[in-house]
Amino acid sequence: MTRNLMLKVMLPAAFALCLAIPDAKAADKLTLLLDWFINPDHAPLFVAEEMGYFAAHGLEVEMIAPADPNDPPKLVAAGKADIALSYQPQLHVQVAAGLPLTRFGTLVATPLNTLLVLEEGPINTIADLKGRKVGYSVGGFEDALLRAMLSRHGLTLDDITLVNVNFSLSPSLLSGQVDAVIGAYRNFELNQMAIEGYRGRAFYVEEEGVPSYDELILVANPDHMNREVLRRFLNALEDGVRYLVNHPEKSWGLFIHGRSELDNELNRRAWKDTLPRFALRPAALDRARYSRFAKFMQKQGLIPIALSIEKYATILE
Amino acid sequence: MRILRPLTIAAGIVFLWQIIVWLSGAPHFILPSPTNVAIAWWANHMMILGHAGITLLEIALGLFFGTVLGISSALMLAYFRPARRWLLPVLVASQAVPVFALAPILVLWLGYGIASKAAMATLIIYFPVTAGFFDGLRRTEPGWTDLARTMRASRWTTLTRIRVPAALPALASGLRVATAVAPIGAVVGEWVGASAGLGYLMLHANGRLQTDLMFAALLTLAVFAVLIYFIVDGGLRRALPWQPDHLQA
Amino acid sequence: MPNTENFISLPSAPPAIHISRASLSYDGSFLFKDLELQLPGGHCSVLLGPSGVGKSSLLRLIAGLEAVEGGGSVEFTSNGCSPSDCATTAPAYMAQRDLLLPWLDALGNVTLGQRLRRQPPDLARAQNLLARVGLENYVYARSATLSGGMRQRVAIARTLMEERPVVLMDEPFSALDAITRLSLQDLAAELLRGRTILLVTHDPMEALRLGERIFVMSGRPARLSESPTPGGKIPRDPADKEFLAYHAELLNRLGAAEAGL
Repeated sequence: MTRNLMLKVMLPAAFALCLAIPDAKAADKLTLLLDWFINPDHAPLFVAEEMGYFAAHGLEVEMIAPADPNDPPKLVAAGKADIALSYQPQLHVQVAAGLPLTRFGTLVATPLNTLLVLEEGPINTIADLKGRKVGYSVGGFEDALLRAMLSRHGLTLDDITLVNVNFSLSPSLLSGQVDAVIGAYRNFELNQMAIEGYRGRAFYVEEEGVPSYDELILVANPDHMNREVLRRFLNALEDGVRYLVNHPEKSWGLFIHGRSELDNELNRRAWKDTLPRFALRPAALDRARYSRFAKFMQKQGLIPIALSIEKYATILE
Repeated sequence: MRILRPLTIAAGIVFLWQIIVWLSGAPHFILPSPTNVAIAWWANHMMILGHAGITLLEIALGLFFGTVLGISSALMLAYFRPARRWLLPVLVASQAVPVFALAPILVLWLGYGIASKAAMATLIIYFPVTAGFFDGLRRTEPGWTDLARTMRASRWTTLTRIRVPAALPALASGLRVATAVAPIGAVVGEWVGASAGLGYLMLHANGRLQTDLMFAALLTLAVFAVLIYFIVDGGLRRALPWQPDHLQA
Repeated sequence: MPNTENFISLPSAPPAIHISRASLSYDGSFLFKDLELQLPGGHCSVLLGPSGVGKSSLLRLIAGLEAVEGGGSVEFTSNGCSPSDCATTAPAYMAQRDLLLPWLDALGNVTLGQRLRRQPPDLARAQNLLARVGLENYVYARSATLSGGMRQRVAIARTLMEERPVVLMDEPFSALDAITRLSLQDLAAELLRGRTILLVTHDPMEALRLGERIFVMSGRPARLSESPTPGGKIPRDPADKEFLAYHAELLNRLGAAEAGL
């Protein structure tokens, strides 16, 4: 009797157990350095994480938020992390400075940078900036952007006063210390001011003479990158973007899941404004667009020559 | 001959630095080698020195106002008990607050020019000076005040002729500490918002991936900070020649 | 050699000190209670006793540095006023440590009293007093460069500068080596002759050398008992046979006082 039990129950059970045991192969680990503290610009990454898309592609992604946005690309170039979120304009300069970096994917496919003024302020067109104070953040290339935007209206940088306000873009504008700020993100600072009860007017850089570029890109070290693993990463990311676009409300819930400090009015408003800007095809690369921006940076004197695109961008097959 | 020792120390530091670069294999955009930094310094020295002038001015203003305010506060604390009860806890708490938190507020009030940086430096200098001088005033040798009483001294002359001179060594100690930390106040102020100064230059160079220039500015700041310290220290020793230095250098 | 006697004025009628019903407590217990003491004017009285008995506290009381408790009083006979309100009869005070201000030179220290009272310092007199104590070459020396004995000599000069008829001294020579101590005792005796002096000491030798009256203080709360003194001009010669006998007797009294405390 017991021997029959063994054969009829235990063996099939054991067999089923064997099938149920997951694949013994361990997931590939990746360290990803965000560009700054977690914010809605990172939505697809967190959606992918929460929906298990990374795990489904055999990946374990550790996301780290730095305090200084300048650090992540340097750490990736030094081989201390796998992926960094960075900015396309910075990439051109970093590669020109000899850092071993290459862009392999895009997160936010439009510029987010704007020139911001108060709606009730004295500035109605860019030409009104003459003789005014413009606040900026150090580390950006805002002065080059400004130069391009001003030249369309016959002004030069000498016609304005540049004031370094570092990270206090909104406060300095609201307190009247400056008349305009450059380096403010259209999805963030505008909303921040609206919450404080101020209407802002934005001049979009790509509409004012600056060639279009990707605001947030994914970079890796070409000497250390595992192309196969990163391709899987992009696949998972694309799944995240897809889910985000199809289910924006549910995605918000995933974004703040376990991170209640992110659940605030500013993030909610920024979320809506950022949604249309994510790259639907993170792996895709528009070569001519990148080259055009490289030439712009060269013309502005930020890089000595416009390198050929293979030197700083990669398409992962 | 006396210049030989600091030069040897400097040479030793440069040597150690080069060793670290070789051993750690750190890339040039994280830790540049001494030669790269020297080249960057020479190529940009006029600009660096120009920025240095601004930072030095901020430090000097901070030292002046911090010392004046510190001395007055210490006197007030020593002579008015309500001041001790109310001001002293505030003073101690103010030191616990990192200057990083105060900097944006100061910048908002005083603007992005020199004023806010001088104010930051003043804040950093104020506490060591106040604490030092107050301590000195508190600890006046009781024998001296007894002697003054038997000599029918007024409160005023006891203060000016005994307590204050007796407290000067403690003030000098506080001032030495303050001088060492003054550059921090100026630089943090510049990081929060400025268009000139070595702190600003460091931030700017870092953002533009010009790490060698950043280090060149950093070293310039370090050298000036050391120079300022020795000037202040020397001045204090000359001003208080009666203060015996039991440890011969 | 100028006539230095003019710089040390002898008080015409140095006051006597009357202490009546004086009490002082420390840390909850009475150091002394309802103490009565009459010290003769123009003479040197010595207060002797073991450490901790309250000799210095009594001295400070007379100097006006401590407040008398419980209705007692300290009075000087000349005008019947107390130390705290009479500027002219206020005592000069000399402590065990020289209390020289390190940032002033010897001249500055000697003229300290005048500086503190915002009077113009009488430098000539100060220099002469320094010469009198044997420091004419050290007028501009800072205290850090002087030896312990020399510093106490500056303190003596400072005390003389104050020209007070009453001088209180709290073990002023105890920190010095034996030879220096003897020579400073001689100097003090000579320069302070004629004033009302109260000297506190724990050294019976010193008491016998300098004291015209000797009081032994003992017990808690402390009591005073007078001890006999030998004759002879102050400062007395310690090699004298009579001196040695009194010294032995005083040692016994001190031993008893120590045991009783």
